[in-house]
Amino acid sequence: MKLLLIASAALYLFGSFKRPLFCAGLLAELVYLALRGAALGRLPLVGPQDTLVFFSASIGLMAVPFLFSRALAGSDRFSWGGGSMAALFALLALPFPTLNMPLPPVLRTYWFELHVALAFFAYALFGIGALLGALFLARREKALLDLQYRSALVGYSFFSASMVSGGIWGYYAWGTYWLWTPKEFWTSILWLYYSLYLHVRLKGVQWERAVAWAGIAGFGVALFTYLGVSILMRSSHSF
Amino acid sequence: MFRTTYNHLASLSLGLWLMGGVIFLLAVGSFTGGGAEGSSINDVPLFAWLGSAPLGQSWWLWGTIVLLAFLALNTVLCSIESLRLKYQRGTLLRLIAPQVMHLGFLLIVLAHLVSAYGGFKGAGGVMEGETIGLPGGGRVQVANIQAEPGPMGMPSDYSASVSMWEAGGVRTATVRPNHPVFYRGFGIYLKQVEVFPVRGAFIEVHREPGAGLALAGALLFTVGNIVLLAVRRGR
Repeated sequence: MKLLLIASAALYLFGSFKRPLFCAGLLAELVYLALRGAALGRLPLVGPQDTLVFFSASIGLMAVPFLFSRALAGSDRFSWGGGSMAALFALLALPFPTLNMPLPPVLRTYWFELHVALAFFAYALFGIGALLGALFLARREKALLDLQYRSALVGYSFFSASMVSGGIWGYYAWGTYWLWTPKEFWTSILWLYYSLYLHVRLKGVQWERAVAWAGIAGFGVALFTYLGVSILMRSSHSF
Repeated sequence: MFRTTYNHLASLSLGLWLMGGVIFLLAVGSFTGGGAEGSSINDVPLFAWLGSAPLGQSWWLWGTIVLLAFLALNTVLCSIESLRLKYQRGTLLRLIAPQVMHLGFLLIVLAHLVSAYGGFKGAGGVMEGETIGLPGGGRVQVANIQAEPGPMGMPSDYSASVSMWEAGGVRTATVRPNHPVFYRGFGIYLKQVEVFPVRGAFIEVHREPGAGLALAGALLFTVGNIVLLAVRRGR
């Protein structure tokens, strides 16, 4: 099965400047996830291997509407950048073993799957926003900043919904919708950061460069929330 | 003087600084003893922890609460100003959607405040057939502790039946992971069971008085967010 993942990463990395090849890379990754899901009987969302692949596929999936947007028509930089980002996380997943054990009872609820899947869609959109911010700084086309705003707003909406579903799950599983763990701290930091981003945009056109940079830095905060907390901090709430 | 203070409190810039401040303090808190894993912060209601923790451990949380109080005030004033200034312009939905999200945020902050003040957390092990007492005089008996062995030694599922004394008699229900039982404002949670050598369970009892407010806030925020996405589609 890992061959599918390698093929997907190769298509993203070497072919994503062509939209059909980008979509082929995404398709290979989705087939990989579907096979994993069928083998496990649930969404593959536990452990570094499954979550990195899910994150990579989310980047591919969320990038598709942007590939076909008018502002990015004829630009292969965005599709290659998005493809490289998706390939990077697919390749990072390869060394990790797959975790095939049954889920602990507390994770066997749709609230958990909804919570995690929505968070990854959000992280993916924050990554795409960072890419669009970099393109804006290079090309100074206002349409790119508008696209960054859209990706951040939709990502923020997914992330808010993820926090809500996580809170509902937490209430039924642990008796509280909120626990003070490093993951929850950084989840709140990321949510507040994008609240800040969406409000900085209201300051006007003279803040455009700052907005673009904030969109780039936001992806760093998202990556720390996802990977940094799990790797660098001791938290019962990781991966 | 009053006008200047009001304008300052209702300004977008102040909101941005406050959000930045809360982000900074939460980041500090995540690395310090108070907020790090293993801290006692999750064992008691937040205000009880704040009352007992040394200031060296809790200063970031005091700071966060102060900044959040100002942020809540700033949110209210910004919403009022936005409604006042844009009342004549734009469609109602476009005008009101961000304010509904603000209201949801404020309700969630209020929910945390209510839970931090009036919450309750208790935990302990019980043997099958034992009765536990709850604050306020409620009594719960734990019986019929069951566990299904999983392939790797860990239970794949577990449950217990709990009998609760009520005015009209005894009510019995089954408690299992993700399926707590609610009784007299308390949630009864089954965290772990053992069936050998004796049947026993680890039970947690929680009271989250802010849960309803938090859910209402989350629903309002989500509705406002969906409307905002719909009205800004294509912009």
